[in-house]
Amino acid sequence: MGERKNSLRGRMILSFLLIVAIAVVSFMIISINRSSRAIKETSVDYTLQLIQMMNENIEFYIENMENISQIVISNSDVRNYLLAEENAKEYLTKVEEQFITLKETRKDIYNIGVLGVNGNYLINDRTVAVNNNIKWEEMEWYSKTVEEQETIYSSHVQNIVSKEYPWVVTLSKTITNPLNNETIGIFFVDLNYWAISNLAEEMKLGQKGYVYIVDAAGEIVYHPKQQLIYSGLWEEEIIPAEHQDQDTAAWETSTKLYTAMKLEVTGWRVIGVTDLDEMLSSTNEIIMMYYLLAVILIGVAMLLAVLLTDKITLPLRRLQESMQEVESGNFKVDVIEGASRDEIGDLIGTFRMMIQEIENLIRRNYKEQEEKRKSELNALQAQINPHFLYNTLDSIIWMAEDGNTYDVVLMTSSLSKLLRKSISNQNELVTVSEELEYTRSYLTIQKMRYKDKLKYSINIEPAVADMEIIKLIVQPLVENAIYHGIKYKGGIGTIIIEAGYKEKGLIIRVIDDGYGMTEEQLEHIFDQKETDERNNGVGVRNVHQRIQLYYGEAYGLRIISKIGQGTIASIYLPVGSGGCNDT
Amino acid sequence: MIHKKSSSQKFILLIIVLTVLAAAVPYAIFRNYQEEQAGKKVSIVFISKRLDENNDFWSSMVEGINMAASEYDIDVQLMGPESEADYEAQNKMIEEAIAMKPDAIALVPSDYSITVPYAKKIEEAGIKLVLMDSVMEEELGLCVVATDNVEGGKKMGEYLKQYADSSSAIGIIAQSPTASTAIDREEGVRKGLGEYQSRIMEVAYCYSDAEKAYEETIKIMEKYPQINMIIGLNEDSAIGAARALKDLGLSGQTWIIGFDSSMEQVQMLEEGVFNAIVVQKPLNMGYLGIKTAYQAVMNGAVEQSIDSGSELITQETIYTKENEKLLFPFQQTQE
Repeated sequence: MGERKNSLRGRMILSFLLIVAIAVVSFMIISINRSSRAIKETSVDYTLQLIQMMNENIEFYIENMENISQIVISNSDVRNYLLAEENAKEYLTKVEEQFITLKETRKDIYNIGVLGVNGNYLINDRTVAVNNNIKWEEMEWYSKTVEEQETIYSSHVQNIVSKEYPWVVTLSKTITNPLNNETIGIFFVDLNYWAISNLAEEMKLGQKGYVYIVDAAGEIVYHPKQQLIYSGLWEEEIIPAEHQDQDTAAWETSTKLYTAMKLEVTGWRVIGVTDLDEMLSSTNEIIMMYYLLAVILIGVAMLLAVLLTDKITLPLRRLQESMQEVESGNFKVDVIEGASRDEIGDLIGTFRMMIQEIENLIRRNYKEQEEKRKSELNALQAQINPHFLYNTLDSIIWMAEDGNTYDVVLMTSSLSKLLRKSISNQNELVTVSEELEYTRSYLTIQKMRYKDKLKYSINIEPAVADMEIIKLIVQPLVENAIYHGIKYKGGIGTIIIEAGYKEKGLIIRVIDDGYGMTEEQLEHIFDQKETDERNNGVGVRNVHQRIQLYYGEAYGLRIISKIGQGTIASIYLPVGSGGCNDT
Repeated sequence: MIHKKSSSQKFILLIIVLTVLAAAVPYAIFRNYQEEQAGKKVSIVFISKRLDENNDFWSSMVEGINMAASEYDIDVQLMGPESEADYEAQNKMIEEAIAMKPDAIALVPSDYSITVPYAKKIEEAGIKLVLMDSVMEEELGLCVVATDNVEGGKKMGEYLKQYADSSSAIGIIAQSPTASTAIDREEGVRKGLGEYQSRIMEVAYCYSDAEKAYEETIKIMEKYPQINMIIGLNEDSAIGAARALKDLGLSGQTWIIGFDSSMEQVQMLEEGVFNAIVVQKPLNMGYLGIKTAYQAVMNGAVEQSIDSGSELITQETIYTKENEKLLFPFQQTQE
């Protein structure tokens, strides 16, 4: 990984990851959404249950007030008292007794009273001093009762008793004369407001949650921050218009969740408020949990991606490596066996076949090249100069005519050796000593022909005697020395042949003290144009070509010559027989 | 091949390390944040001039304080001597509060000058100081949350101005010549009266003693029988003056208007002794005071002066929904 920016594997991992990440993240978002919605729904349900309980409690209080009102209104003594002009005291005592009993049973009842149109009245008991500073007829709850016959007047300060200003909820009803249906007075019962506010205060909706109550007209019955609302320090949409007619409703602002329920008896509404932040603080934990889950999932996905793509791309990468090897010339690469039977497997099979095909082609090409070289080499291999053969045979004839039998035998056997070597095609290579032996035969013949005009010596360093070299490379040089050097020299000519090491190479020198060659001659000695059949110029060039063909361009022939002094022809060869084209 | 395999293994290791990091680091941060949130409650100490459940003014203020405390999730500690005059006890409490190292202290200074060095100590300790209800001779604290007494006084003056004429004579009973509240209210009264402020015959001082206010009123009435309007600048002054007028048989004839709203004042208003009273809003003051202290802790900057408001109430407006709340605290009915 990482060795290449756009590697197939990298892209596979990336796309794999992308798919997994998208899946995981959308799963996360949906789940979180769902769970926060579920939390809200649960909260609404829970709040509704609490409100339901609270409603039942409130209804219990209201029903209780209702019961008291039924008891009092149906009491004939009450009516009689309100109608009475005389004997009022008698009725009053009875009514008072009832009031005292009723008040004793219920601690949450603050006042019970009847207020007669004729001025007779009773509040709780006779000891109670009425507040003279106000007229109850002017109070709103009173006028409302007259108007509606029956009313529940929500939270207000009851000022009817002197020096007492309790917060109450008042249930009041008109009392009528059954005979003529005329209103003869008003009954009222005050429920201690504390009973209701306490219910609301005690209802816990988290740290920041609270409950408030509004009456049917939308006026606040209880709100923990009622005064702040009146002062404009706290804002609350008490009940949105669209939810006004619903029995239960839930709505939310940016920070709060409202759950409302209507009280059947009074038309009041209890509204529970939950702080969204507080409620959803648990969602933070859920989000965290989902996040952790997502991270782990993506981590596992990454691992899988790496392992899977590793497996998928492994044969591909091996193939790539093999191709690189092939590129660098090694056809013997081991292209993995047992590759999968998929597209990559097919690709590998094809590649393997291709390599074999290429290898075959190369091999064939090489063979052809080799054959071509061999035939060239053969073609170049020097033949015995026919002039030489002819001259030698002539010499033999003369010697035979002279009866010089010994010389005839010597020359004939030398010629025979010469010919045998020359025609034996078995081996390209001979040892240095064999090669020089052959040269010696040639020199023997030439010496006999030139009589005393030629002297020669052959020196072989023992270390190089058994080294193999291509054959027939020394004799042409000797021939050249004789025909170009010794032949034109007056007096005795000497040829020295040396074979030995020099500078880690094998060197064979043919040195003569003959006439020498001009610079022009030297320059053209390897030149094909200057062929001189008779003088065997072909031979020298041929030697050079063959050496180079066999051993490479680093080797070959060098000739130094000076007119009147002689010529040195040096053959440079590598040590050992190994030519560059060795098969 | 071997090299590649090891790089693949390195990659797997890297993924595992990254996954663990990606999971562990945010988780640790989250936990840390949660713990911080839990431990990072703002703490405020409220030091009152008087901590008395039976006093409507101070208990309403505490009610407002509790509202703000629960709304902003503040840890509020309440302190205060039983008597308003006990500045020594309050000074000790200030020192105690400083030792508690709260984020802020909301202080109702007991004394105009004696409390000054103690309030300074609060600021020196690097604790945010918010003053409530009263100020001191030196300007201290980030903010003062109080009834705008000039404004309250002005309401009284403006009310009386409607019924005054050039023959009117006005007497004022004030709590003290040095109390900032008295000075401000008197200034407000004069503003409200406008051209009739020249009709103020005398300003008498009762030193927050209703008995003394009673005596002073009688003295003034003897001295200036033409006085037909009396103004009481605080609860004691107003009650003393009202009682005196009642005893002199002048209620209903002589206009009287007072500051504050004790039960007795409200009854006398209902009775018709008082023509009007100006009530403060201690609940609002407590709420705003703590809210402001909280904001000072959270944001640093707050308004220098916040008016918690006042309301002029006449016999006719006692039982409106809004005023009922101001005049009759719930505690009255609790058993």
